[in-house]
Amino acid sequence: MFQAIKSKLDNMSIIKRLCERAETYAVQDQQREPGAEHFLLAALDLPDGTARLAFERAGVEPDALRAAIERQYADALRSIGLKADIPAGAPMPANPGAYRAASSGREIMQDLAATRKDHSRLLGAHVVGIVAGMPHGVAARALRALDIDPVVLKSTADAIAEASRIR
Amino acid sequence: MIDPHDIIVPTDPDEALAAVVALRRLADRIEREAVRSALHQGWSWSRIAQALGISKQAAHKRLSDVAANNGSA
Repeated sequence: MFQAIKSKLDNMSIIKRLCERAETYAVQDQQREPGAEHFLLAALDLPDGTARLAFERAGVEPDALRAAIERQYADALRSIGLKADIPAGAPMPANPGAYRAASSGREIMQDLAATRKDHSRLLGAHVVGIVAGMPHGVAARALRALDIDPVVLKSTADAIAEASRIR
Repeated sequence: MIDPHDIIVPTDPDEALAAVVALRRLADRIEREAVRSALHQGWSWSRIAQALGISKQAAHKRLSDVAANNGSA
């Protein structure tokens, strides 16, 4: 009973941290609402280290993700024949009031909520597993820009999360 | 100068939609930089709104934080 309450409180604290970090990445990216790519970056910052471990086991340097997100925008413009140096610009302030995520960010939160019974403790690997299963969008294209096989990344992340649950 | 005829629309929907996302992001950034510059040069919100083809309220709602960053809110 006590363990269940403690686990629930721990998860709430992790979700708060995840959402705040995702929002920070979004505003640095001049977007008010964090998307899946910002949640993925936030998961890599979680202290449990499982998101980073999933990337490393899939053969990719986790710190390369941010540049890959930027690169997929440039690649998309180049695909229509535009070569643009996108100005970095200043971060914009976060949305005032209630927390709001972009559609792809909400999808992650809904997925985490739907599978919460499968994990006693929320881990960065859970977020990686969800994002790796998304076939489209900025995060999916950034993973492709990193030459990551999303199927491999997902199964690696799921295995890490499962091993952590058994322990 | 970019000739719009030179823009190739990819036939793969995933690629075409990725380009749309990147273009919107580029447009947003250009818009914010242009508004920052306009405010710096003393433009009013009415003038900015007119140039953007939107109402003054809509311009202010979407871009007022640019004014705050510009120090002239």
